[in-house]
Amino acid sequence: MILERQDKYLRQFEQRAKRLMLHTMLTLPMANLTSVCESTGLPLNIVGVLAADLARSGWIHLADSSANTEVDHATRYCLTGSAGYCLGVDLGGTKVAAALADFTGCFMAEMTEPTDARGERHVVDQIVSLAKKLSRSAHVDASKIQSVMVGIPGAVDPQSGRISLVPNIKGLADCGVLSLLQNAFGSNVRLDNDVNLAMLAEKTQGSARGYNHAAFLALGTGVGMGLTVDGKVVRGATGAAGEISYLPIGRDTTSFEALRTGAFELEVGSLAIIKRFQAQGGATTATVRDVFGLLSAGDKAAHSVIESTAAAIASAVTALQSILDLEIIVLGGSIGSRPEMVERVQRAMSRVFSRPVHIAASQLGSRAGLIGAVCGALTGLHDHYLGALSDANSVDGGSHALRQP
Amino acid sequence: MSTIYPTAISTTTRQLSRRSVFEVLLHKGRISRADLAKVTGFSKQTTSDVIDEFERQGLVRPVGRTSGNIGRTAVLYELSSDSGHVLGVDLGGTKLTAAIADIASRVLAEATEPTDPRGGKFVLEQIAKLANRLAREANTHPSRIRSIVIGTPGVVSPKTGAIELAPNIADIGQVDVAAVLTGMLGSPVAIENDVNLALLGETWHGCAQGISNVAFIALGTGIGLGLAVNGKLVRGEHGAAGEIGYFPIGADPQRVEARNQGCLEYAAGASGILRRYIESGGEPVEHVRAIFERMRGGDHIAIEVIGDTARLIAMAAAMVVALIDPKLIVLGGSIGAQPEFAVRVTEELARVSSRVTPVLPSILGNRAGVVGALAVAISKLHEDLFGIAELPSAMPLPSPRVLAEGGSR
Repeated sequence: MILERQDKYLRQFEQRAKRLMLHTMLTLPMANLTSVCESTGLPLNIVGVLAADLARSGWIHLADSSANTEVDHATRYCLTGSAGYCLGVDLGGTKVAAALADFTGCFMAEMTEPTDARGERHVVDQIVSLAKKLSRSAHVDASKIQSVMVGIPGAVDPQSGRISLVPNIKGLADCGVLSLLQNAFGSNVRLDNDVNLAMLAEKTQGSARGYNHAAFLALGTGVGMGLTVDGKVVRGATGAAGEISYLPIGRDTTSFEALRTGAFELEVGSLAIIKRFQAQGGATTATVRDVFGLLSAGDKAAHSVIESTAAAIASAVTALQSILDLEIIVLGGSIGSRPEMVERVQRAMSRVFSRPVHIAASQLGSRAGLIGAVCGALTGLHDHYLGALSDANSVDGGSHALRQP
Repeated sequence: MSTIYPTAISTTTRQLSRRSVFEVLLHKGRISRADLAKVTGFSKQTTSDVIDEFERQGLVRPVGRTSGNIGRTAVLYELSSDSGHVLGVDLGGTKLTAAIADIASRVLAEATEPTDPRGGKFVLEQIAKLANRLAREANTHPSRIRSIVIGTPGVVSPKTGAIELAPNIADIGQVDVAAVLTGMLGSPVAIENDVNLALLGETWHGCAQGISNVAFIALGTGIGLGLAVNGKLVRGEHGAAGEIGYFPIGADPQRVEARNQGCLEYAAGASGILRRYIESGGEPVEHVRAIFERMRGGDHIAIEVIGDTARLIAMAAAMVVALIDPKLIVLGGSIGAQPEFAVRVTEELARVSSRVTPVLPSILGNRAGVVGALAVAISKLHEDLFGIAELPSAMPLPSPRVLAEGGSR
């Protein structure tokens, strides 16, 4: 008995079921149908029929092509890499990195170049040119790129897609980046804050893998934070969640400069470290790397500066942990990922916070942004063909690891 | 497609149609069979079958006829009160508030009494007695209460359901509250943190309606925060999300009292405010309420102490904004809901943050917790009756508009 208008519900159900199956096959490559049933909660007859449909559409294929055509609980499928391609871009003030990945998330080609200093639409043109170079290198037709994710060093409004707070790239906020990129690549282009994407990378295959409540703190020249709550990246009402530069922590929380640049960034950013080091008698040409290098030499000024920086970071971690009760906090960025800093923050936390806090160093280093961009682009690719799995609000990769050459 | 999904179709569509019809009844109040078919998109036969089934179960009843249309009048249906009730309880250190509502969210009875100071099982017996009394007032029987939610201060472990860190109620940590109350009242009991419930109360009926990223800061005896992100309550790994009493503000964490109690709570919790008032030369008082009264009377010390408190809370708000970017911050609790306080906090926030996040006082005041408890109890009842794992979204709560039409306490 077919009831009118129920088709809409069944189509939604079917799309959702297929998406769940695809997610399972990505997370457990070479899974047989029994595993897919267990993971998705769907019965075998439905899984069997949907798998055959997915295979007819070209998204998956039988792992063992010589097997007879009888599909049963032991049948294994794999995702078909050539079914579609996606592009992840990590756009920074100095460098832009891009990678082309296939339908399974396997990296086909990767490149890094200095960011075009002219800024504005020249940067967009640069991204388009990178995409062409990567496609040639991977022997893939560039028009087959059906999903793009670009990480930018700024805030992206989740509703409007408008970007703001991007001082490092001239004119980027005003040139309509999203529509320029969409003209080049089609409608399936997304922008996200680069630290959010780094969080996604850490959650998918970095130090936060397998955790549902986690934060990634990027501490370097600037500071930023990515957050995961209940397995989903948190953006906030206007995309400004994680703008930890503005935490009221540090010596100066009320001056004009503090409100403009952010009290916390003024306290722990690399400029602050160098200034304090110089103020304590350190060399005027010292870089942050030099200051850390002098630690092991027992330099008092270096020690004092790094200790006070660690104390301020511990305050931020205290605030974060009090409000969110996270499972893990990953420290990254040029300052945060240094083992000397991670140790000191852990020690400082044990002095000021009575509950244990799990703090770990980022293992992905400077590649976190690019990996996160590809994760986001891959989800966008699957959403494009098979419907969104999670809420419209979050563009999240699944828990599968990307395979890189 | 029907040939591909033999049994899946009929069960799924029956569940979907039941749920659709129920949602429409929740939102529209009263509706005819024909209009139900139009609004849900299911056939007249299907919606008629569902109404028949609901009538048999006592979920709906006929309540009059349409008028003013061409042709025959049609029978109108609405959700019936007889299908079951819910109990919401806000258990505080000083006061206990409880309320009973029906499946359509109409509040039928409500009361507040001082919490039994003997604590422990005496408090649980008090809750059971209050529930029975309210059931009588609501013209229903305790056995018809199908879902119970209790809000308490402290941390509720998401894994075990046990209440930890609830210092205000003697011996409550020793008792398995949910199990004992289920035994006394015969219905499933869920325990929830009281600030989380106050947040839910404000998003359902208060100043945070329709907002999916919102923080509720409760200032009373202690300091706590409830948080909704992307429309969902945040609990954290151990259920300890929101313990902003431990924010690094107002005191040195190397001092043992500040570290144990939490710097912000040590400085700006009720006893911290009292301590600062007396240290500044104020005449001793029993409650922070009195300091507010003196402030309104022009007492300079009171004005300064409350101003400093607002500054500390504004710094906390600035931290919340930088970390989470909520659309709105609501101030509640016996101190937080004082009208002048939100104004002072807003002024102070502008000094430490360039973002303009609105800070509003709670509209529901000391009812926020029990309203939130009712919201959760009703959601659970709806999920029990209509929940299906595969559907993409949770059942929405009825809008307050329906309450106004259906009559309330």
